[in-house]
Amino acid sequence: MSAPAIWIFVPFLVGGIILFFIHERFSAAIGGTIAVLLSLSALIFPIDTALLVGTVSLKISASVQILGRSFIFSTADGPLLAVIYGVAALWFFGTQASGTANRFVAIGLMIVSLLTASIAVEPFLFAALLLEMAAMLVIPLLVPPYQKPKRGVIRFIIYQTLAMPFILFSGWMLAGVEASPGNIGLTTQAGTMLGLGFAFLLAIFPLYNWIPLLTEEASPYATGFLLWALPMFTVIFALDFFDRYAWLRTSPQLSSAVQFAGVFMVASGGMLAATQRHIGRMMGYTAIAETGLIILAMGIKSAEVVHVTFLLLIPRGLELAVWALGLSIIKREAFNLQFSDVQGFVRKYPIAVIAILAAHLSMTGFPLLAGFPSRLALSQELASQSLFISFWTYAGLLGLLIGALRTMAVFVMAEENSGWVVNETWIQAGMLGLGVIGLFILGVAPQVLQPFISRLPALFEHIGQ
Amino acid sequence: MLIVLSSLIFFITAITLVALKIYQPGIRYAWLIAFGGTILALTSVLIWQAQMDFALAIHFWQPVELFTNPIAFRADGLNWPYAVSLSALALSVLLTAVVNPNFSDTFTWAGTLALSGLGLLAVTADNPVTLLLVWSALDLTELISQLRAVEGPSNSEKVVIAFSTRVLGIGLLIWANVVSVSSGNSFDFISMPAGAGLYLVAAAGLRMGVLPLHLPYSSESNLRRGFGTSLRLVSAASSLALLSHIPTASLASPLVPFLLIPALAAAIYGGWMWLRAPDELTGRPYWIISLAALSVASALSGNSAGSVAWGCSLILIGGSLFLTSIQNVWLNRALLVGAFSISTLPFSLTASAWLNNPGFFFPFIVITQALTMAGYIRHALRSSGRDSLDVQPTWTRTVYPFGIGLLVFMQILLGLTGWNGARQIGSWLPAIIASFLTFGLLWATPRFRIFNPVRAHWAGPSQNQGPSPYAFLWGIYRFISQLSKTITVTLEGDGGLMWTLLFLVLFVSLMTQGGL
Repeated sequence: MSAPAIWIFVPFLVGGIILFFIHERFSAAIGGTIAVLLSLSALIFPIDTALLVGTVSLKISASVQILGRSFIFSTADGPLLAVIYGVAALWFFGTQASGTANRFVAIGLMIVSLLTASIAVEPFLFAALLLEMAAMLVIPLLVPPYQKPKRGVIRFIIYQTLAMPFILFSGWMLAGVEASPGNIGLTTQAGTMLGLGFAFLLAIFPLYNWIPLLTEEASPYATGFLLWALPMFTVIFALDFFDRYAWLRTSPQLSSAVQFAGVFMVASGGMLAATQRHIGRMMGYTAIAETGLIILAMGIKSAEVVHVTFLLLIPRGLELAVWALGLSIIKREAFNLQFSDVQGFVRKYPIAVIAILAAHLSMTGFPLLAGFPSRLALSQELASQSLFISFWTYAGLLGLLIGALRTMAVFVMAEENSGWVVNETWIQAGMLGLGVIGLFILGVAPQVLQPFISRLPALFEHIGQ
Repeated sequence: MLIVLSSLIFFITAITLVALKIYQPGIRYAWLIAFGGTILALTSVLIWQAQMDFALAIHFWQPVELFTNPIAFRADGLNWPYAVSLSALALSVLLTAVVNPNFSDTFTWAGTLALSGLGLLAVTADNPVTLLLVWSALDLTELISQLRAVEGPSNSEKVVIAFSTRVLGIGLLIWANVVSVSSGNSFDFISMPAGAGLYLVAAAGLRMGVLPLHLPYSSESNLRRGFGTSLRLVSAASSLALLSHIPTASLASPLVPFLLIPALAAAIYGGWMWLRAPDELTGRPYWIISLAALSVASALSGNSAGSVAWGCSLILIGGSLFLTSIQNVWLNRALLVGAFSISTLPFSLTASAWLNNPGFFFPFIVITQALTMAGYIRHALRSSGRDSLDVQPTWTRTVYPFGIGLLVFMQILLGLTGWNGARQIGSWLPAIIASFLTFGLLWATPRFRIFNPVRAHWAGPSQNQGPSPYAFLWGIYRFISQLSKTITVTLEGDGGLMWTLLFLVLFVSLMTQGGL
């Protein structure tokens, strides 16, 4: 058995089977269990290394060839695969509680497998195609059957599609840059192309306007999944670029541009979040600001780039899952999710509200919650490099905090003598409760991520040197 | 290890109480368990003296390359008084609870003990990261307790506003980290660069409602005696303990007077409102503001021991008064020891308060002190609205006075021994002036209408006339709001795609001109 077959083709096939043959009631359990099994197997079984079980020697081969392209996983990919499928499992288990339709799990598994393939594919530029395919598969999740796609969905697919030619074109030019590194004109063109490609993929300002539109008009759970999955794999793809091309790592201008883009996203995302009156859009802008933090992390001049980046990326999956699940539950009663519609909801949906607030505060970097350790680490790295960038990052986080506090105020402003009622089902309460506990565990003891994070730098061995 | 042990005793006792309440709701010895646990915790804190100074560092967070500061606690001559005060307060809350109508409120006792455990961790936190974590735990506890206790949108909103100011205090501490690291220093209490200490003072001041002046809570809060007192005072101690850690060198800044002025303004305002408060619980927020402002002023003057003295006074003297719900002549007289304790007279708890000459600000400090003392004496001697001790059951008549007496005893004890500010002659001249002024105020209170009690009110932006910092901040917020609305409408509207591409072209041209 080969690693790509296990972590790419199996989930894709299972996704297809669930889509066409499995009843909605069982899809979450089956999809979640498959994802957990894939995650555990990535942790337990080393890739491309013989494992002796009694007298039997097992070995998961590293690569497979399809249509002349290779899909390769190395031993170092194990923790990354474990993280990907571990977080995906959270999303799939949560679908039943969120009331999302059957196809979420099926298509979600397919999307994750395609995105996983983007890590493994060689030549690695083909990752752009796989990312585009994954983006296209997201559409059925965002648009309910027999309905026209709205503005946010259309912009999303336009921007993701525009990214692909830029990336592919830059890849072609990068080969030329490697051959003649002194050609400044070519370097500039390649860098610009690459920057534009990733600007579209990562939704860098002003290309992120589809995110708040989407969080307003589409299912919060599906949007949350999208906001976790695509940036995560895009970041890994970007790190791969940095790792492969020395001139990208060493270019001070590019480093400045990355930091500028990151800090602009954090500051603008924070500012816009602070002034929102829609709790769905609030999640969108917070996700934007956090993507900005991740971009900032990628731009720091430190040996800890990979550590800090993944310290931000991994909790993001849990934060968005908890937040999106809470929103999905509340959206059933307050369809618009405007402040005026959700006022006093803490007494109707206390667990969902607590979960939303915990996730929101976590993404602002509130101590004790999952987002705090990563933000602390990032702020220390940034502070040692630039007080100016630190200030604007801090201002952006302050904006997010204001947004969180405004949301909190709206949720708790219940009418006098309105009693406390728990309207969440036990599955919803259980999922949200576990999610909130997870946020606290990651906030108080971030070392639980250490088994995953410690081995990740091996994937990007040139970065941070 | 002793620090964690003392906190653990509090936590384990609290968990035991909750478990008992859930699984054996009718149990009759829950109070005894709470009492036993608290006695044990207080004893363990007293035992700290045998090992002082000692520290505990847990290299808990990984990777250590990123998290260089461990989770660390330290017991020394400046935070031990806080630890003793908080433990004594917890015991006092339990002892005085025996006269409450809803005596067997196990959850309230558990909450008090858990708060005290957190308080111990906060006052012994040896670096800002540890303090941040404990502050957050306290703030969340307070938020949840308050939200469960209040009714109506307006009161709920006030709770969130109070939480917001505390979180902003946390934010200032994080910013101090950024400033410290950007200067090439580590983020701990020892190696802080000049000027960074001001952020810490501002953080503590903001959390206490001193800088800028605001009342974290309205006086209408349902959480009154017992748990309410514990909540307020533990929270205050956790913020004030930070002030004792700030190195004097890190306060070297020309901005110090600009922080001292609002701090003293808050102190005088708090003292004035405290003097005129109709009762001690209504006046409690002003007591806290007034004493906290004095503590901040001491810290800004570079007098850590003085800051601790005011902080402990806030807990011990305030605690004894706020927990007094029963009328007894001897207890009222015992409470007057508190007036001595805040007098700054030699060998009093606050004798070390003005070891550093406050210079120009001296008269304002004396006025605040006099207002606070006069208010305290007035509230301590007030008998109306309290039941008599004589009508209580026999065992409560014995236990209750111990609760009040314990805090009074602790004031005397800390004035004489156990920490850096004990057995001090101090600066006796301002103490005598403040004492005379106090007698003058006590004489004038029943004679002049201006000193008559008024109903306490919420000090918020709505009460302020004319321009204020709040109005300025609100103006900024409205501007940002308009700006963000314009950006959103432009980019998300029909022409949004074209605008986006236009911006993109602009950025690309800027980048390429920059030489990328």
